[in-house]
Amino acid sequence: METTEKYHFDVVRWFTIMAVVYLVVGTLVGVLIASQLAWPVLNFDIAELTFGRLRPLHTNAVIFAFGGCALMATAFYTVQRTCGVPLWSNKLAWFTFFLWNFIIVAAVITLPLGLTQGKEYAELEWPLDILIAVAWLAYSFNFVMTIAKRKTSHIYVSNWFFLGMMVMITYLHVVNSLAIPVSWFNSYSIFSGVQDAMIQWWWGHNAVGYYLTAGFLGIMYYFVPKQANRPVFSYRLSVIHFWALMFGYVWLGAHHLQYTALPDWTGSLGAAVSLAMIIPSWGGAVNGMMTLSGAWDKLRTDYVLRFLIMSLAFYAMSTFEGPVMSSKTVNALSHYTDWTIGHVHSGALGWVVMVAAGAIYHMVMKLWNTEMYSAKLVNLHFWLATIGAVIYIVAMWVSGIMQGLMWRDYDAFGTLSYTFAESVAAMHPYYVMRAVGGAIYWLGGAVMLYNIIMTIRMASATRAVGAPAKA
Amino acid sequence: MSSLAEHFHTDWAALTVNDWIGLIVTVVVSILMVVAYVYVFHPANREYLETRKYIPLDDEDRFETEEKK
Repeated sequence: METTEKYHFDVVRWFTIMAVVYLVVGTLVGVLIASQLAWPVLNFDIAELTFGRLRPLHTNAVIFAFGGCALMATAFYTVQRTCGVPLWSNKLAWFTFFLWNFIIVAAVITLPLGLTQGKEYAELEWPLDILIAVAWLAYSFNFVMTIAKRKTSHIYVSNWFFLGMMVMITYLHVVNSLAIPVSWFNSYSIFSGVQDAMIQWWWGHNAVGYYLTAGFLGIMYYFVPKQANRPVFSYRLSVIHFWALMFGYVWLGAHHLQYTALPDWTGSLGAAVSLAMIIPSWGGAVNGMMTLSGAWDKLRTDYVLRFLIMSLAFYAMSTFEGPVMSSKTVNALSHYTDWTIGHVHSGALGWVVMVAAGAIYHMVMKLWNTEMYSAKLVNLHFWLATIGAVIYIVAMWVSGIMQGLMWRDYDAFGTLSYTFAESVAAMHPYYVMRAVGGAIYWLGGAVMLYNIIMTIRMASATRAVGAPAKA
Repeated sequence: MSSLAEHFHTDWAALTVNDWIGLIVTVVVSILMVVAYVYVFHPANREYLETRKYIPLDDEDRFETEEKK
């Protein structure tokens, strides 16, 4: 009996593969720029390879190339399965895939050339901003239309998280990118002064809140129950988690601008809502972890589940650390230091990549209808990722707190105890430690890529000898 | 005027259009949050909501392949 695939999974397969490729590339650039900070000679006196040019390439590669492909793969995979219908338009999904990847290639070319708007996490120039909006709307419209023609009566909570992300990122991206073009590769933001700063961090923190948190929570709410083969601990808690996140996150951006020209009350409000957000964030983390209640032994044997549960531990940790850092007392010490870098990477390496890795391993086995080529390599990846992330984060914590203390220390005469250069020299060992942690983390990603390539080759070989394909 | 009353004193006449929009959005969102809490934690809705958590576990029969027509 000849069979055909019920859902449109080819585009999901390609998004999945590209996500892993971009993870390896993006973290490799991260290791390079971390090494440049420890050993400046690695800038090679070549403008296109200097830290300033490559740092936005690293952030764009990991956030939009890896993160974007992971979100598109998982959203298109889960919406079909939870709604019981194929994607509304397979062609539109492929259009999204090619356009998104074109934008990534364009970023790889333009950012090292120094073509940038100078807005953090939104560096790409205006023609690419327009293409991002087109690709994002194509992705979102396809997702919404697939839900509209669903066979099930209820929209599962993971789809709500994806939807929330799509709506919020659309208007955050459009408003933050409003600019007056003066040439093909140069434009000026329509905002200026403190308003520009506020819009920048309204976007910047909500890119974290809706793209790297809500979107990846959509992943968590589908893949944790699926991999554990148990329903989520509390569906009602997941609903509250969703609405509290959607309503609350949008206030937080101002906490990035404590002790600046921004009105004082705005920063206080941002900090107050940040602290309040611990409640839904921890509710969600506990909800995910307690899904394993009564079946914790699964963690002993299921290496993919380890990624998912460890990611929730990091999620809980970073969503506690972030609000603490936003309070004015702690912010006075932490702001502008490496502590912020450590915080961002505990969220990125620990939460975002770990939960995505768990989902990707799960999807690869389903999409290619096979077991992983090597379960031991999945386990090796898990430990490399965990150890690498912890080394990175600890290095930045120590370095950051030390920086903050050195910068504000003064003697009996009221003069600063340390010069800035002395603080830079003191940071060197921790920068080396950070580069080592990052390299270990990168190695884990490379192991994952190898394992997935071998898994796909193994599945293709099995299919070639005549075994019936299911997926 | 007590210090508490002074702390919460608002010069309503000084509010700009932006202030009013922000205030109204904030109040509406807060009310909607209360509505969401009441709906989710009302005992009458418990069974309806909690049975939805099986959706991802039930999707295997909707998955995989179907006969080519």
